Amino acid sequence: MKHGEYKTPGGKLVVADFAVCDGVVRDVVVSGDFFLYPEEALTVITGAVEGAPAESTADEIAGRVRAALGPEVTLLGFTPEAVGRAVRRGFGDA
Amino acid sequence: MSAMDAMATRQAIETVTARWRGIGWQLLGEEPMAPALNVALDEVLTRRVGAGKRPPTLRFWTWAARAVIIGRFQSVRNEVNQDAADEMGVTVVRRISGGGAMFVEPDKAITYSLYLPEEYVDGLSFTQSYEALDSWVVAGLRDLGVDAWYAPLNDITSAEGKIGGAAQARRGRAVLHHTTIAYEMSPDEMVRVLRIGQEKLSDKGIPSAAKRVSPLRRQTALSREAIVAHLIARFRDEFGLADGQLTPDERAAADRLVHKQFATEQWTHDIP
Repeated sequence: MKHGEYKTPGGKLVVADFAVCDGVVRDVVVSGDFFLYPEEALTVITGAVEGAPAESTADEIAGRVRAALGPEVTLLGFTPEAVGRAVRRGFGDA
Repeated sequence: MSAMDAMATRQAIETVTARWRGIGWQLLGEEPMAPALNVALDEVLTRRVGAGKRPPTLRFWTWAARAVIIGRFQSVRNEVNQDAADEMGVTVVRRISGGGAMFVEPDKAITYSLYLPEEYVDGLSFTQSYEALDSWVVAGLRDLGVDAWYAPLNDITSAEGKIGGAAQARRGRAVLHHTTIAYEMSPDEMVRVLRIGQEKLSDKGIPSAAKRVSPLRRQTALSREAIVAHLIARFRDEFGLADGQLTPDERAAADRLVHKQFATEQWTHDIP
């Protein structure tokens, strides 16, 4: 299992725990001290990261998350980019 | 935030809070409750206010036991040293709002919840609503000589450090806003039970989580009870506030939720 953390400066912590299976990201859990409305949108975020190729950049992961989120969702203290950064940290990137 | 944005925010908050006067606010006073019951009541009372079955409500909490209250989206394994919690007799419960873990001890924390229909925050962004819903507390602390101010998104702070933090959840057209203020703190026990990694402190410019917080006891000679009494009086003056009680039905609904959800391992470890 891989584990990465990224804190948006002035914002909140995003933690990504996941496995890598056949070159893709699997069993993703995104957690942290952020705020998200509605709360069920977290399943949309984790669903968007699930299946991402292991070589995806932070921006590519952010793009998957952004594309999956509807306009009714509000992220406070983090962004899709922060999710991408947390996943990359899980791979040991700075 | 630019000076112009800050002024626009202040005006938006003043306009909205002016509408909170005389809307029938009810006070639920301090009654010591188990941690799981406290978080279950937030769910029940938010829904009742949203359904129009309860007036807008201010509830002050009293903790019957030491507890770690973790945010809706946090991982227990990442945030809590479970062995230390077990040794110390600290209960871990998950609340319905986001935000960070807090370690609370009876008589050392001041916690309150506000429950109000969403229409009373119309015109405010989520971020502005946090500041608006704590504005009476910041004013109340300043009355008492504490040089407090609001630090968006969700902190009440001072030159000496953070005083408290807020979190919100929304349920069926109602807003839950709850805030915990540190009156006293046991920094050694806090760092034993909470795992606070370096990444979380990466932009704080300070070496440890314990040093980040400056409890009120360090900033005023007043008792916890005197501070709570003043905050209640301040709210009453500003918005009107009648003394109320939990109904037996609300209490029974919360007790049921404790058993079905809030005291279960499944909920405590559930991340959406």
